[in-house]
Amino acid sequence: MSSAATARALLLLRVTSLTGQVRSRLARLRQPKYLAGAAVGIAYVYFSFIRRLQVAHSGYGPGRSGAGLPPELLGLLPDLGALILFAVLLVNWTIPRSASLAFTEAEIAFLFPAPVSRRMLVHYRLLGAQLGIISTALIFTVVFGRRSAFGGNLWFHAAGWWLILATVNLHFTGTAFLYSRLLNRGMTSPRRKRASVAGVWLLICALIVWVASAIRIPGPGDLASAHDFANYAAAQLRAGPLPWLLGIPKLVVAPYFAATGQAFVLALGPMLVVLVAHYFWVLNTTVAFEEASIARAGKRAARRAAVQQGDWRGQGVARSARRPAFRLAEHGRPELAFLWKNLLATSSLFRPRVAVVVLVIVLAGSGLLVSQPQLNGVRLFAVTMFSLVLGMTLLLGPLLARQDLRADLANADLLKSYPLRGWQIVAGELLTPLSMLTGVIWVCLLGCVLLLPEAHRVLLFNPWLRGAVALSLAVIAPPLVAIQLLVPNAAAVLFPAWTQSAGNRGERGIEVMGQRVIFMVGQVLITLIATVPAALGAGLIFFAGFWLVGVMTGALLAAAMAFLVLCAEVSLGVLWLGGRFEHFDLSA
Amino acid sequence: MIETSGLRKAFGDFIAVRDLSFSVQPGEVLGLVGPNGAGKTTTLRVMAGIIPPTSGVVRIAGRDLAREPVEAKQQLAFFPDEPRLFDYLTARQHLAFVARLYGVANHEALAQPLLEELEIADRADQLPAELSRGMKQKLAIACGLLHSPAVMIFDEPLTGLDPLGIRRMKDSILRRARAGAAVVLSSHLLHLLEEVCSHVLIMKRGERLAYGTLAQVHAQFSNGDPGASLEDVFIRATGGSES
Repeated sequence: MSSAATARALLLLRVTSLTGQVRSRLARLRQPKYLAGAAVGIAYVYFSFIRRLQVAHSGYGPGRSGAGLPPELLGLLPDLGALILFAVLLVNWTIPRSASLAFTEAEIAFLFPAPVSRRMLVHYRLLGAQLGIISTALIFTVVFGRRSAFGGNLWFHAAGWWLILATVNLHFTGTAFLYSRLLNRGMTSPRRKRASVAGVWLLICALIVWVASAIRIPGPGDLASAHDFANYAAAQLRAGPLPWLLGIPKLVVAPYFAATGQAFVLALGPMLVVLVAHYFWVLNTTVAFEEASIARAGKRAARRAAVQQGDWRGQGVARSARRPAFRLAEHGRPELAFLWKNLLATSSLFRPRVAVVVLVIVLAGSGLLVSQPQLNGVRLFAVTMFSLVLGMTLLLGPLLARQDLRADLANADLLKSYPLRGWQIVAGELLTPLSMLTGVIWVCLLGCVLLLPEAHRVLLFNPWLRGAVALSLAVIAPPLVAIQLLVPNAAAVLFPAWTQSAGNRGERGIEVMGQRVIFMVGQVLITLIATVPAALGAGLIFFAGFWLVGVMTGALLAAAMAFLVLCAEVSLGVLWLGGRFEHFDLSA
Repeated sequence: MIETSGLRKAFGDFIAVRDLSFSVQPGEVLGLVGPNGAGKTTTLRVMAGIIPPTSGVVRIAGRDLAREPVEAKQQLAFFPDEPRLFDYLTARQHLAFVARLYGVANHEALAQPLLEELEIADRADQLPAELSRGMKQKLAIACGLLHSPAVMIFDEPLTGLDPLGIRRMKDSILRRARAGAAVVLSSHLLHLLEEVCSHVLIMKRGERLAYGTLAQVHAQFSNGDPGASLEDVFIRATGGSES
């Protein structure tokens, strides 16, 4: 077959695959879950990004946030962009890997044994990657568009992003090819391979040390104003080896930062030289990419198969056995067996031994910080961090800690064959994320209580009241987290098809993004509604207690009331969800 | 030991199983056969208490599966066609987990001979990802057998096993049936079923076409041919097509 005919066949494959993909994406909009997701996704993108973008480019409104930067700093943006690009490329060089190209299993099955040259296969893959790069460039244009106070227009930004991403993609591929060549060319001994990698790392370290030694630590005068900081930053960027190192990255980012059409065209020439040089680098690096590409396609296929079998996160399989958090006795509540089992799926950080160590560190560290007034800055920083982690755990923890029914739904048949009621399975499944999140919250609360500055006149700084509030929060936290965990678990049982597409990392598209938004809003809304009875009950008790027995006892009584109401809600929720789980059929 | 009467399962307008009645006594092995889409797996899943029937009754060891699910499931082991295992549990940890759920006393003493019988003792501390499909199948079987169930339900138990594994699986099923277990299994490997089953139930489009001992079903569909195999009987009973 002539190379022109091969090229036509590959192009036909690419075009028909793309057409089929678009057609199937449109066809699935006939399903309500995708249609609703698409509607919400489009609305979200429009109101969050495009509308702001339009406002920003019209020169009015809050979207013009880039205008908030002083002109001195605006002038440094291309240098900073080049610095970021350089850092990304440098990190890429620290990862030794085999040359692989992202073929699908079907492409491997058809193209690898076919009479298609290596060069043609590389071209085919590079062309295929452009679709993803263009999509990413458009997303970046929309997301970063409002930072457009340095001028230019949307098309320059989109084209600039595409050029940057295409170059980065080629650079990553070239690096992988080079590493493959470096490690496989007559280098059979693992020690020699390690030595070559160490050599590359040594070079990178030397580079970093060279750059760092040329940079001056900013003094108070450098941070006095934006103008001073801009002067300081400009001096550092133009001193030492940085101007040399950032030379080529600057050429790559120049079209993106071009303020006018003329500047864009002028920047385009050198940029294209860099891009073409990368292209020839990849094309002319002779390296066997087939084996690594097959392994890569295999991993992708395994992930997809895991999703199809119900492992909706597509995580696939565990890599090594872990030590259990505790010894599982032969007899006892079956729910605890689920805690034991699911803790095995978590990081080894979530073990009682680690909890004790953390507790000792928090107690000892707090004692040290409180006893040393000169460490007040550190103390304040620690309090801030504890508060931040506390808030994040309460808000995002139940969404992120998924060692419950969401992770086990693929094994629903197995779970249902056990001699347990549905509520026992649900309760057992909730125990692991509940105990993990509660542990984190309690440690953070303890840190806050110990480290908040004491001031009897300020209400929250009164140590006794602070203790009462922390104790109240510690009591309320477990049922509050349990309610938040119940919501996504219920969603997984009630709307498995929705959860399957929205929870799958591999699924893409605006409709899937919309589904995720719907889930997130639903989660927050239901949690808020569920806390209303507890808040009302606790509020009434607190005010009654405040007048009758004082503020501290009032707070504790209110917490007890909230705890009871939330526990009642959780119990009802677990019973209800257990009933639903007994009737749940993933195959239906 | 297993009694089903008037079993019906509908998914919306689609009737997967229609008015199915049969029983399996201790020591009997019932082979459930039928073309694809006949309703075999649905029947097995209903019998295992995984999905509730639309109507009808399933009794396991005299316990109504709908009214006393926990007590009924305590006597039951279900082996799906695809071994379902937990990614982060080793083979030994799987057995410990199952032992706790079924309240098996002294499970370690019971587990070791089971692992040895199924030839996975040397893999006891490995994760499912490190096991071949056949090994995973064996582990799932070990988990199911740990609590010495009186009723065993196998859905395509021979898939993925090598010839030696198939022979051992057949022997294992027969040994447990002889020890008094009631066994139901579905498979498309009819010549193998012929060697293991005492009874056979042929299904098509959710309905029972034939049910009885192998000899009874043979007599019904062999057209007087004494040399007819179960495969011949199956083809004649189902008319040689899925629809």
